Amino acid sequence: MIFGLIETFNENLLLLVLVVFGIASAAGGIPPMIERKRRRSIENTLPSLLESLSDSVGAGRGIQEAMMEQSRTLPGILGKLLKETLEESHSSSFDAALASFSAKTRSSQVQRVMVLIETAMEQDAPLQGILSDLAMDYERLNDLMNKREEELLGKGMLIVLFISIGLPVLIAFIVGLFTPANKGFQIDSFNFTFSLFFGAASAIALGVSGRMLGRFKDALWWMPGWIALSMGLYLGTVIMIGG
Amino acid sequence: MRKLDEQREVLYVIRTLDVLMSSGVGLEAAIHTIGSGGYGIISEDFSGMMSRLRKGSSRGLGPELKSMMGKADSEGYRRLLNTMYTNVTQNTDIIETIRKQGTRMENERTESVQKYIEELGSVPETLLSIGMIGPIILAIAGLVPQLMSGDLGAFMKLPPSSTINMVVNGGLALTLFGMFMIGLKAHTKDPGL
Repeated sequence: MIFGLIETFNENLLLLVLVVFGIASAAGGIPPMIERKRRRSIENTLPSLLESLSDSVGAGRGIQEAMMEQSRTLPGILGKLLKETLEESHSSSFDAALASFSAKTRSSQVQRVMVLIETAMEQDAPLQGILSDLAMDYERLNDLMNKREEELLGKGMLIVLFISIGLPVLIAFIVGLFTPANKGFQIDSFNFTFSLFFGAASAIALGVSGRMLGRFKDALWWMPGWIALSMGLYLGTVIMIGG
Repeated sequence: MRKLDEQREVLYVIRTLDVLMSSGVGLEAAIHTIGSGGYGIISEDFSGMMSRLRKGSSRGLGPELKSMMGKADSEGYRRLLNTMYTNVTQNTDIIETIRKQGTRMENERTESVQKYIEELGSVPETLLSIGMIGPIILAIAGLVPQLMSGDLGAFMKLPPSSTINMVVNGGLALTLFGMFMIGLKAHTKDPGL
C-alpha cells in the first residue's frame, strides 16, 4: 500500500523536487542547531565566569592569573576553551590570547566582553567594577533570552504542528470522505490547488515560528522539508480516505 | 530593519562608552573605537561620521551628532546621540547620564520582551483560526459543483465552475495573506535581544 501511495506522487513533480530538497536541506539544518546549543551553553556560563573574575581581581590577583585559575574550575565548554587558549598563549601575548579565545567561542557576547576587558586593561580602568557590571548585564540578558526561548518554543511548535500537519490531514479527511475519487469525483485540480496552499501555509507557519524564537535563518533550512511533508500528507490522506 | 538593529546594539554601545569614558578616553576617541566595528548599524554610523570629520567635509562633531539624530529610528539611539550632543555643546557629565540611560534602557528592554511574549501569546490561536476556517469553508465551496452535480443540481442554479474556482483560489490567497500579516507581528514587534 505504501509503495502504491508513493507511486501516485509520480505525476507531482513539484512535490518530488521538494522531497529531495527537503532531505538535502534538513542535513544543512542540523549543524546550526548544534552550534546554537554550544553557543548558548557558553553564553549561559559567561556571567559566572565574569563574576568569579571580578572577585579574584578584587582579591588582588591579576586578570591573567584570575583567568588561569578560573579555567581550571569552570565547567563546560567555556572552561575548556579558556584553558586551551591560555595554555597556547605562553608563546604569544595575553591580548592575542583573549582575541583567540573570543574567536574560538564564536559568540558575539564573549567577543564583546573580551573587547571591553582589553580596552579596560589598555586604559588602566578599575577591572573589578567593570567585570561585576558586565556579569550582571549578561546575566540579565541571558535570563531574558532563556525566558523568551522557554515561553515561545511551545507556541512555535504548536503553530508548525497544527498548520503543517493537523490542517492538511483535517481538510484531506473532509475532501476524501465527501468526494471520494473511487466514486468518480474529478478533484485533481482541486487537490493540486489545495496542496499548494498547504505548502505555502506550512512555509508561513515555519517562518513565523522561527522568527518568534529569533532564529528565522535556521528555520529556512527546514522549510522545503515541511512544505513537502504538508503537501504529501494532504495528497496522501485524500488518496487513503477517498481511494 | 534599521530600528531593530539600533535597538539590538544601543545598550552594548552605552556599556562600551561607559567603560571607555570611565577609563579616561575622550568622546571622540570612544566614537572612533565603536566606529571601528562590532556594533552593527551604530558602528557604520559612527564610522561614517568619523570619516567625514577626518576629511573635513563636516561642520564638526556637534552638527554631525545632530544630523545623526534625524537619521536614528529608535528612541534609545536618538536619546544617546542627544546626550552626546549635549556633552559636546554644554560639557555635561556624560558618564553619569549614559549610566542612567543604560539602566533605564535595560528596564525598558525587560518590559518589551515581556510584552513581546504576551503579544505573541495570541498568535498561534489567531493563525490557527484563520488557517483552519478559511480552507474549510473554501474546500466546501470548491466541492459544491461536484457534490450538487446529480439530482441536487436541479434544486438550485450554481455559478459556472470557473467562477467558483476563482473564488476558491482568491480566498486561499487571501487566507495566506492574512496568515502572513498575523505572522509579521513576530518580526515587527521583536524587542531585538
